[in-house]
Amino acid sequence: MAAKIDDKGREAFAAFADLLIPAHKKMPSASSVGVAGPLLDEVLRLRPDLQEDFMRGLEAITGEKAGAAANALYKDDEAAFNAMSLVASAAYYMTPQAREALGYPGQESLTYDAHAVPDYMVDGMIERVTRRGAIYKSTPR
Amino acid sequence: MATGSRPAKRDEVVDVLIIGAGPSGSVAAKHLAQAGMSVVTLEQGHMPDRNDFPGRKPEWELVTQKQWHPNPNFRDRPRDYPINTDESDVHPLMFAGVGGSATIYAGHWTPFLPSDFRVRSLDGVADDWPFSYEELLPDLETVEREVGVSGLPGNPAYPPKMSYPTPPLPIGKVGRKAAECLDKMGWHWWPGTNAIPSLPYNGLNACVRRGTCMSGCPEGAKSTTDITYWPHALKAGARLVTGARVREIEVDDRGLATGAIYIDEHGRERRQKAHTVIVCANGVGTPRLLLLSKSKHFPDGLANSSGLVGKRLMMHPFSAVMATFDEDLESWRGPFGQNIASFEFYETDEKRGFVRGAKWGAMPAGGPLGATSFVGTKVFTDPNAKVEDMWGPHFHDMVDRRFGHTMVWGIIGEDLPEESNEVLLDDNLVDTDGIPAPKLKYKVSDNSEKMLKFHEDRVLEAMQAGGAIETSVVHQMADTGWHLLGTCLMGDDPKKSVVNRWGQTHDVPNLFVFDGSTFPTSGGLNPTATIMSVALRQTRHMIAERRNQEAA
Repeated sequence: MAAKIDDKGREAFAAFADLLIPAHKKMPSASSVGVAGPLLDEVLRLRPDLQEDFMRGLEAITGEKAGAAANALYKDDEAAFNAMSLVASAAYYMTPQAREALGYPGQESLTYDAHAVPDYMVDGMIERVTRRGAIYKSTPR
Repeated sequence: MATGSRPAKRDEVVDVLIIGAGPSGSVAAKHLAQAGMSVVTLEQGHMPDRNDFPGRKPEWELVTQKQWHPNPNFRDRPRDYPINTDESDVHPLMFAGVGGSATIYAGHWTPFLPSDFRVRSLDGVADDWPFSYEELLPDLETVEREVGVSGLPGNPAYPPKMSYPTPPLPIGKVGRKAAECLDKMGWHWWPGTNAIPSLPYNGLNACVRRGTCMSGCPEGAKSTTDITYWPHALKAGARLVTGARVREIEVDDRGLATGAIYIDEHGRERRQKAHTVIVCANGVGTPRLLLLSKSKHFPDGLANSSGLVGKRLMMHPFSAVMATFDEDLESWRGPFGQNIASFEFYETDEKRGFVRGAKWGAMPAGGPLGATSFVGTKVFTDPNAKVEDMWGPHFHDMVDRRFGHTMVWGIIGEDLPEESNEVLLDDNLVDTDGIPAPKLKYKVSDNSEKMLKFHEDRVLEAMQAGGAIETSVVHQMADTGWHLLGTCLMGDDPKKSVVNRWGQTHDVPNLFVFDGSTFPTSGGLNPTATIMSVALRQTRHMIAERRNQEAA
């Protein structure tokens, strides 16, 4: 059962996540795609092992300035920092917005013709390997 | 083909009890049942449900770092047993379930080469096997047809052999780029052979290149024995008991095995009697069980008069090289089997300063979390970096540079056997049924260190020749003990080995070991093809000799 995170905690996490994952070039910021909303609860539900370190880190940064708090956490409590940064980045890349901006369709199913002749069969690449001949050592007699 | 046997009843003394339903146990169960023998297999895990595999879900990368992590100590599922690795340079990786650890393997199909069976003769180290590549080849070719291997025939790294049952998988842009790099060097490469069919085959669907092989294939397209062997075994009358954790193999007053005591998934102790017992619990689980099975006849553990049960553990030293290119390689796409492989430096060249060699396999790099990590650990980040160096705009730029543009080379070096590398019973650690857990003592050798460094440098040369814009090396990764071999040595001398050339223990005539723990040497490649082939060879011999088998 994920711990309940109040509005102050969500604000602190959103600021932390935006420090780590700001809007930059084609990519949206972490908070703008909702990493501090219901998705945060979902990620912590999926990874209950992260909850203890995450909540300890969240308590440490709540009410502090994001930049200083993040660096202090990284220095003083790396486990908490790693849990918070993993939750932020994992949640971010689970969102359709971040995936679309990055050009990641997810782990998709593809069709192909298994009988098609591969390029390497006709452009000489595999032929150069076979022409060099066998490279194994035979069983000694 | 035989029509099979009738299913065994719970209290029946069966012809054969098999412990473990992984690759080797599954081969034995199917073929023994089809030969008409009554067979019961005890498996501590469960039958996998492909709907549980996370590959289709958006959280795939997140849960592969915990619930689907290959290290049982880290994954910590109830059916996993803990392993003390405090004194081990490499952590053993495995999975409990029907299909065994192959449930989460990458499906690289690389049979041992002729030289792997003659290491002593060729290189003056380790031991020769009691049989040769040529003697095992018929079993390999049968297994390849049952498994549904995909690949291109004619690989000059191997002697000529039968072609594969399905055509090679697409090598993708990753494979193409990797091949171009090796082509520039004039080095060997070959499209990957994989236990992943490119066409529907023997109950398997065709691979759809989802690329999530190592957390179970949600398509049912990666060859695992729950799909390719167990339907046939069950149809032939074999009985499979899951959630059954064996704690002891019992013997009678004559020192013959009579069966096993196991704990069912409700915590009840049960007994399965059998005329013959085969252990297929992998290179850690098998010696653990033999060491647990102490008795008046066998005070040092079952079949351990040589003192070699648990000794000579081989886990393969492994390094990874990441290479990033300007070109879009679509490197989240699968299969996560090997896109291409290279055996250029597999055989011994003494000028290199070490003996034996390694296989290289080129693989994709996964999703955007994979752009910063590999197999669940942040191995490619700089441990001395500051927050600002890794995050903020730098994070986006790094992911943008690596994601889709990166390949990962896995270097599997041959692990030579040493008696100091061993599996023991831990004095304190127990599994969820209170059974003592194994403890590993394992050090990577000087030969392995030199070998990995040499191969890392050669991979880097090739990647740089091919135009890599960024490379990283992770030397001798810890979480890479996929291949658990060597702890119940096979040989002709009862004083210097645990089992004979047919997997029969020297000390207990009706106790056999058919898994990779019998391997005298490890090869420098993924061993599942050879594990299954050896299991078939031993099974065929058992069937042929069934009338002569001494039994309790």
